Amino acid sequence: MPTCLMRKGTRRNERGLLLLVLACGVLLLGNTASAQVYLPKPLPEPSEYGKVILDNYSTTGPGAVVFDHWLHRSKFTCRLCHVDVGFAMQAKATGIRASTNREGFHCGACHDGKKLFEGRPIFAACSDAANDQQCDRCHSLGKKGARKYEYKEFTAKFPKGFYGVNWEAAERSGVIKPVDFVEGLSVKKAPMRSREDFTIKAGYSWVHPINFSHEKHSIWNGCELCHPEIFPTAQKGTIHFSMFSNIEGRYCGACHGKVAFPLNNCQKCHPRGPLWAP
Amino acid sequence: MFKAKFKAKIIAVLLFMGLVGLCGMRAIGGPQSSAAQADHPAHETWRKEFDDVCSKTQDAMTFSQEELTDLIRRCDALLPQIKKLDESQKKVYMGRLRMCRGLYAYVLDAKRNEKK
Repeated sequence: MPTCLMRKGTRRNERGLLLLVLACGVLLLGNTASAQVYLPKPLPEPSEYGKVILDNYSTTGPGAVVFDHWLHRSKFTCRLCHVDVGFAMQAKATGIRASTNREGFHCGACHDGKKLFEGRPIFAACSDAANDQQCDRCHSLGKKGARKYEYKEFTAKFPKGFYGVNWEAAERSGVIKPVDFVEGLSVKKAPMRSREDFTIKAGYSWVHPINFSHEKHSIWNGCELCHPEIFPTAQKGTIHFSMFSNIEGRYCGACHGKVAFPLNNCQKCHPRGPLWAP
Repeated sequence: MFKAKFKAKIIAVLLFMGLVGLCGMRAIGGPQSSAAQADHPAHETWRKEFDDVCSKTQDAMTFSQEELTDLIRRCDALLPQIKKLDESQKKVYMGRLRMCRGLYAYVLDAKRNEKK
């Protein structure tokens, strides 16, 4: 083969290699950028986790309401509020108004000034008789010292986990006893039958399976909070649960990452961790 | 002359009593408040049926396909009654009914797939 032809071929190969390297670089950069989008959000302080600001209608007048999940979840199950009382699982979807509270819906379902909790009447929400100080207990955004309970003092005796309170341990040890019934609203039901726990094979070969506890979940959620709206089918293999969808707020991410323990600790769900873990 | 005056007085008294009676009827049978509607026996019927149908969600997995189909049918029959409620009550109970019916349909679907 003549030398000039050999040189041409080598140059072509060099150009091809260069293009390949460039293409790989672009792909790698692209993947890194998209991977950053799907990383779990940095966590706020545990006291801020699950905080909901209700400012649909109350930005004027008494101001926005600050709702802390940590306070209510220590007293009630998720199911009670999100099924029986009818609070939506998405922010701003419930349409809470002072008038609906006064009619005995939403916050007013419990906060009616008559229902008792731990032997004391639960203060009435949006009562006409309330003074500014009483309004500020809920309409507390930007008002220092307006709230009755502070996270640190309130949770001082609760067992702690990798991120704030370990609610599961708190419930198991009896430190908290979440109530699942409101008179006049809830339906009396037979005690929950224990459902079998199971493992879910991870979508990637380098991750150990997920240990899913039906029992733990059903204590807080009953059945109808998860099925079918969050997990729409029981047919195995029809839905691909991925960390991406969880981070987007679907499936496990409907609660985990918003109110229930966050997605940043792999071993809470994948107890054996990744394959390379000791 | 006296008779005519007496008659006129009796008519006036009767008219007055009639008017009072009508007003009273209006006060009792007039447009009802939402709270009164909720207490009405017809409205209590839907609540009893709702409570009965949706009190079984914990046991959904133990029901046969026929039982689940019947529970779904009862949920569907409740929907038109719940749609007639006041706005807030309707929103809450339609959501609850949707979840309750959804669970029975979910379990039914799972059972059907188990048999395949």
